[in-house]
Amino acid sequence: MGKLKPQPTVSEETAAEISAIFSSDRPWVVVVWDDPINLMTYVTYVFMTVFGFSKEKATELMMQVHNEGKSIVAKGAREEMERYVQQLHEYGLWATLAREDQI
Amino acid sequence: MSPTEGFLRHGSDSYIANFAETEREVLVNLVQQVIEILAERHDHANEDPLAAMVGITTHDSPPDDEVLLRLLPNAYQDGVDAAEFRRYTESTLRDKKRAHAMSIRMLLLSATDGDVVLDFDNAQAWLGGLNDVRLALGVRLRVDQHSHDDLELLAPDDPMRAVYAVYTWLGWLQETLVEALMDEANS
Repeated sequence: MGKLKPQPTVSEETAAEISAIFSSDRPWVVVVWDDPINLMTYVTYVFMTVFGFSKEKATELMMQVHNEGKSIVAKGAREEMERYVQQLHEYGLWATLAREDQI
Repeated sequence: MSPTEGFLRHGSDSYIANFAETEREVLVNLVQQVIEILAERHDHANEDPLAAMVGITTHDSPPDDEVLLRLLPNAYQDGVDAAEFRRYTESTLRDKKRAHAMSIRMLLLSATDGDVVLDFDNAQAWLGGLNDVRLALGVRLRVDQHSHDDLELLAPDDPMRAVYAVYTWLGWLQETLVEALMDEANS
């Protein structure tokens, strides 16, 4: 009997974690930062327009930016979050994106 | 002609405002300056027509000028990611901002009796364009370091006092347009 070649056993969870490491779909977030120039109503309107939020939800996020200095306004695949940041920059909001675990 | 009363919603998809001649002159002049400062960032070095065509710029470092940096901000806090993103997106962002300023300029210059009528797309361009002017003035006024009370108390002969007056007027004007648009969002 020959020696058995070592075989890595990969559970489904491990496989999912490994593929997540290589995947571009790991969660990224869009962060909007407080700035003293943009008007509160304007920021609310931009959130409604770019993300399709209700006025209530947009107002809540705007108030979070205002009171806490920043707010996470979207979460998802990197490419999609990059498009959001680009749109927010077109409106002049101060937005960045980051890996969810690095915020 | 009397000073503008700001934007009002007109019908389902139209927003109108009437501007006095001096107001139009001030606004045209301001957006012209935005167009010029954006042009300073143009890719003088980028002579590769293919790269230009697909929107890749030679810029991957942030602008030195603080107004330009506020108009074209970093998308990532990490410098390497920010540079990569900028290389592929900055020229598109610059073109959009230029188009917004041009829309304001064109509609003001062609306004009959000072009447400006915006459809939804024009309204978005005006919001962004007015905001860019406010960002530029706000950075120069250092509104991050001064309270509104400080700025209200500027000496009458301080040139920044007039700049601050224009800045607050633009904020008011932008707000009338936001409110007119929100009316629709609610209806």
